[in-house]
Amino acid sequence: MSETILLPKRLRAPEVAAFLAELRGRGDEPSLILDFGQVEEFDSSTLALLHYARAGCAGLTVTNLGGALARAAESFVRRVPDRAPAPGPSRALLDRALIGVADRFLSQVRKLGRFLAMFGDEVYHLGGYLKDRRGVYPGETWNQLFFMGYRSFPIVCLLLFLVGVTIAISSAEQLKVFGANIYIADLIGYAMLRELVPLMTGVILAGKVGAAITAELASMTVLEEVDALKTMGVVPEKFLMVPRLIAITLAVPLLVALADVVGISGGILVARVTFNISPVAFVTEMMTSVDWTDFAWGLIKTVVFGWAVVVGAGFKGLTVGRSAEEVGRATTESVVLSVTLIVLIDCVFAFFLY
Amino acid sequence: MDIIRAQGLTVGYGEEPVLRDLTFEIPKGRITAVVGVSGSGKSTLLKTLAGLLPPLAGGFAFDGRAVDYRSEASLRFLYGKIGVLYQGGALLNGLSLFENVALPIRMQYPRMPQDMVRSMALASLAQVELAESADKFPSELSGGMAKRGALARALVLDPDVVFCDEPSSGLDPITSSLLDDLLLRLKATFRMTLVVVTHELRSIERVADRVLLIGDGGFRFAGEYAEMVASPDPFIRTFLLRKDSHDDA
Repeated sequence: MSETILLPKRLRAPEVAAFLAELRGRGDEPSLILDFGQVEEFDSSTLALLHYARAGCAGLTVTNLGGALARAAESFVRRVPDRAPAPGPSRALLDRALIGVADRFLSQVRKLGRFLAMFGDEVYHLGGYLKDRRGVYPGETWNQLFFMGYRSFPIVCLLLFLVGVTIAISSAEQLKVFGANIYIADLIGYAMLRELVPLMTGVILAGKVGAAITAELASMTVLEEVDALKTMGVVPEKFLMVPRLIAITLAVPLLVALADVVGISGGILVARVTFNISPVAFVTEMMTSVDWTDFAWGLIKTVVFGWAVVVGAGFKGLTVGRSAEEVGRATTESVVLSVTLIVLIDCVFAFFLY
Repeated sequence: MDIIRAQGLTVGYGEEPVLRDLTFEIPKGRITAVVGVSGSGKSTLLKTLAGLLPPLAGGFAFDGRAVDYRSEASLRFLYGKIGVLYQGGALLNGLSLFENVALPIRMQYPRMPQDMVRSMALASLAQVELAESADKFPSELSGGMAKRGALARALVLDPDVVFCDEPSSGLDPITSSLLDDLLLRLKATFRMTLVVVTHELRSIERVADRVLLIGDGGFRFAGEYAEMVASPDPFIRTFLLRKDSHDDA
């Protein structure tokens, strides 16, 4: 036999929650009839209860539905789908996992292909611009040079000075054991010129310049500014990227030269304090193990890193989706991509240079 | 005379069609309003007509020339003939209003004398009554000014067709009405073709010579505004009465 429950005048979220808790406490009782006749105050949880009852859940039946609640139910409850969407074809867990891995792998391969295509496009656009000087906003290269060079110079110098000091301090102890104090100059010179300055400069550029490029281009994409450029007959990949590529190519040699000097100065300072080696003696010893080719290779490596950072950041910025949330995600991914590319390229250089 | 003729055009994102099998014409020198409820695919259609989103099937011809999305030359031809007013204006934030308007001239005619660039950009800004604000940056402009500035940029190279994506969105009724006046003036003065995507009934009534009403993945109506108003079609009645279209769906 069905039991009728007269629902209270006020049936909002707290009352609905209490009622459902009571219902659960009753266990598998015979079907219930819910009498809505007295209900005057209601909210969306009341409508959810109605939907719940109408869907035939827990053997509930609805009666005495009238007035404003009936109208609200007519407007909202009938639009709620009664059933969950039909499930897709069921697959074994292993199948799903393998398909997921394969999809992800293929998506990454496609992205890599698009990235390499963009790299090729940028080389083409740069060549085109150097030939006809068209398609780029006048003065933009100088703006970018100011941002990438002048604005990056303090942080690059500070960090490379500290790296020089740290490497010198950590090597000094070991060198002292072998009585090889003077070789601190060779170690610092070689490590700085060949490896640490290029790598650290690249990483700083990835974090500072790369992230800024991605955030700017991604915002432009989301705000339809990139579309606006296209419909003005401008090629966004040229207009936005070529000034940045030229700027990084010009800024990096200056940054590397300064970073080399500052980083080695850190080593000189530690050598003076720890081993009482004079700066002249330090530089003289250093010059026996490094020459201009070490500086040149460091420079070439950093320019390549800079290109990787700019193209990687541009790729992430210009291929972003259409929501503001994706701007943040693209910026994070851009830094990860740039640092990965830098380490990868450094490995390739190490393979050929040493 | 039609400036755009579409045949069996299907538009959408990825492989998902939003509007299917559209066949229509946009007449020259008139204002065509593409209308429909939010999410019906108006802006998607505009993107395809503006050369930003390749069609999934079918195609269209612009001024008698078929637009081929795989051909750079074809898209360059299209971009040279159109101007687009984007929903948010899409002015470049790093450039002043003047530089934004001068940008299309500098890009298309890099050897044009600076004096000429200046007078063309200022003339375009004067058309939208913004010559006084030429040195301001987009962040210093109100929503209505940014829209007018973007319209000046769209007009600066005298395009054959100007596409306007929701020109009234986010504007108060007075500014919105002033923008409508401006569109009507452009049509009257330059015999310009305008394609206006909107769901603002007042704006449609004031400016549109022809209406393309979108619903259920296709056109529900194509014709004069007066015909649309007289139509007994329940979908159109619902749209005109601003009822929720789902009631009839």
